Amino acid sequence: MIDLIIRLGRSGLGYSETIGRSGIFLCHAFFGLGLSQKGLKLLVHQLYKVGVLSLVIIIVSGLFIGMVLALQGYSILVDYGSEQAVGQMVALTLVRELGPVVAALLFAGRAGSALTAEIGLMKATEQLSSMEMMGVDPLKRVIAPRLWAGLITMPLLAVIFSAVGVFGGLLVGVEWLGVYEGSFWANMQSSVDFKEDILNGVIKSVVFGVVCSWIAVFQGYDSVPTSEGISIATTKTVVYSSLSVLGLDFLLTAIMFG
Amino acid sequence: MGPSGTGKTTLLRLIGGQIKPDRGEILLNGVDVVKFKRKELFDARKKMGMLFQSGALFSDLSVFENVAFPMRAHTKLPEDMIRDIVLMKLNAVGLRGARDLMPSELSGGMTRRVALARTIALDPELILYDEPFAGQDPIAMGVLVQLIRLLNDALGLTSVLVSHDISESLSICDHAIILADGHVIGEGTTSELRKSDSPLVKQFLNGLPDGPVPFHFPALDYQTDLLG
Repeated sequence: MIDLIIRLGRSGLGYSETIGRSGIFLCHAFFGLGLSQKGLKLLVHQLYKVGVLSLVIIIVSGLFIGMVLALQGYSILVDYGSEQAVGQMVALTLVRELGPVVAALLFAGRAGSALTAEIGLMKATEQLSSMEMMGVDPLKRVIAPRLWAGLITMPLLAVIFSAVGVFGGLLVGVEWLGVYEGSFWANMQSSVDFKEDILNGVIKSVVFGVVCSWIAVFQGYDSVPTSEGISIATTKTVVYSSLSVLGLDFLLTAIMFG
Repeated sequence: MGPSGTGKTTLLRLIGGQIKPDRGEILLNGVDVVKFKRKELFDARKKMGMLFQSGALFSDLSVFENVAFPMRAHTKLPEDMIRDIVLMKLNAVGLRGARDLMPSELSGGMTRRVALARTIALDPELILYDEPFAGQDPIAMGVLVQLIRLLNDALGLTSVLVSHDISESLSICDHAIILADGHVIGEGTTSELRKSDSPLVKQFLNGLPDGPVPFHFPALDYQTDLLG
């Protein structure tokens, strides 16, 4: 029994230490990106790697999710003779929930895991140590541009996801199932509020962007520098990011719409 | 020098301020490295270089860009001057012709020579070498041994070299220290060490498998272990 308490206490202390370390790490990285030409160049490079290269998965997923939403929504709404509201349903679902959440989950799986693996491998091959020994701070040079790239691209990807999803809904609802196009857009326009729905969705995606990028870069930087260590860190990035996104989504929804 | 696991690389990391000691002081130009703040430490590191065992080249940059990296990070030199300096440093290690190759296209020996060129890019006052000869073929090893001594003398450096390649290290060093179990067991010039009476020093220099440093890792008695 005493052993169990000791082990619990030890693991609790370990987790607290990791959280504290990751907090200090976030502060250093957050304020580490200089506004110099070099800093901006590094940021643009990471915006391309983290954001532009994630576009394909975001667009394809958004399109299919919008299509599925329209299909499912239509089959329910048609029973009540309200199939004209399918555009409103697709838009609200995407803008409020699925856009930020699914985009963040995809971001964690595609860009987050890549960030962790890249930084972990740089650590394992002593590239981060050699940078330190050259008097270059890896937190500023490697971590800060990647963190900021994640923060900037996440809301943009969520907006693109929602926009493409609405287009997917239009394809299925209007072009395939025959919902009147005027009603599709008019209902959407009248029910989607910029501040209440779109802005809240963007706020959610900003929060998810901070959390996913933070977890990804910290797990890479804190990984055990072996092949197994990097594998564990990459898995942790996806698992922790996904759980954090889902948990925070409930919290934010309760605050915004509760 | 010293057997594996005795703390040689740890010592280099302590000198470079990458890890902090539990106690004691590490003086660099008379200033204690341990007391440096983060920014002071990074400034101090501009005057030192470290050659890692793996070379630690940046895998996404070419040989040229790897050597140019410290200059781009710390100076505002014009591009044509950076080019000239990089080519001079690469020429010093015999790899001027390999400037456009990527690290994945280099052999182990070439990787370390490029890393050496990068290490001397900013003309440091101190270079720390971590096992520079490990895993090298005889030709690459001979080249590295000569380069280290040559660069040390030509650039007026202080070089701290960690190795367990006895003959190569003793052939170029002015002063050697042998570590075992975290303690200094012998030090001096090559000839002084060769004359040492210490059984530990003798075992290490002659490469004897058993002696004060046991061949076997601590374990139960062999017979008891086998028969239960």
